[in-house]
Amino acid sequence: MGALTKLLEKIGRSVGKVVGVLYQSGRDSIDQVIKNVLPFMAFISLVIGIILKTGIGDLLANALKPLAGNPVGLIVMSLIIGLPVLSPLLGPGAVIAQIIGTLLGVQIGTKAIPASIALPALFAINPQVGCDFIPVGLALGEAEPETVEIGVPAVLFSRLVTGPVSVIIAWVASIGMYPQ
Amino acid sequence: MEFLANLAQGFIGLFQKGGEVFVSLVSGIVPLLIVLMTAVNALIALIGVERIEGVGKYAGKPGILPTIVRYTVLPFLSVFFLTNPMAYTMGRFLPERLKPAFYDSAVSFVHPPLGLFPHVNPGEIFVWAGIAKGITDLKLNIGDLAIRYFLVGLVVIFIRGLLTEYITKIMMGRKASDTAAAEAAAGEAAAA
Repeated sequence: MGALTKLLEKIGRSVGKVVGVLYQSGRDSIDQVIKNVLPFMAFISLVIGIILKTGIGDLLANALKPLAGNPVGLIVMSLIIGLPVLSPLLGPGAVIAQIIGTLLGVQIGTKAIPASIALPALFAINPQVGCDFIPVGLALGEAEPETVEIGVPAVLFSRLVTGPVSVIIAWVASIGMYPQ
Repeated sequence: MEFLANLAQGFIGLFQKGGEVFVSLVSGIVPLLIVLMTAVNALIALIGVERIEGVGKYAGKPGILPTIVRYTVLPFLSVFFLTNPMAYTMGRFLPERLKPAFYDSAVSFVHPPLGLFPHVNPGEIFVWAGIAKGITDLKLNIGDLAIRYFLVGLVVIFIRGLLTEYITKIMMGRKASDTAAAEAAAGEAAAA
């Protein structure tokens, strides 16, 4: 009888723990969505709505097409975004990458830009990722000030090369996906 | 009067379109995002974050295998378990000369998993979801793009880690020889 009570107690405890963890996870997810995701969706919706309705979208499509419509253009785009002077300015919150990405998505959706460009485009809009955050990121990793001093330019220069390289790799890797 | 009415109609129309976009984003992305994030958050809580620390210690060792781990497995585990921006704290297990390269590698992996594991960086989900929405609008298979984004991301962060490690090494060497030269010059000046 004692063994049975113990077993029941153990089961009750572990179930309680799992349910507690799941409930807390749900709470965290909802928090995240309300605090981070929905505000950005509101902002993106406003921008996209105005762009689509006013016809700026067509202008932008024409402007983006030579850059975003083909692999060479995407490499040029990644070079520009990855410039050591520009990349820390374009980084914060990935706002620029998110807006360009959404604009390209709209163009892909209307077939103005081929769907086969999606994978290289994901890399072309993002060579600046984290360039605004290098000192903080290194500090989180408990780096010495001397390391930060060297680390900032090292990462920025590296991006100038790896930005275009990532577009080329993505372009090769997207062969066979979404044929027209 | 009619002109004013048209003007008002056009003005409201701008935001009606935005509202439609908002509804399609919320209904298309948020439900899956919430459920998936709940599942992964629970999984992480049950596994325990401290278990990946061993990988961090291993990745600081010299050799080919630790190097591969340092710029592929470790960034993935850090980003998956700790998410942006706490993932970069895993750099504390590495020697100073490797920290910039690891940061570069880890920070470049906060977006490629978004198609599979949106919990890693929900605040920046549109880096992925913006372009992905175009693909779903065309009724094409989104899973294909998500998995390729993830895999190419791994290859890219590996290359990025190697190159940044190399650049850091050169710059640290140059700085060390500069300080040595400066000290020598200072010593000569003191002697003279």
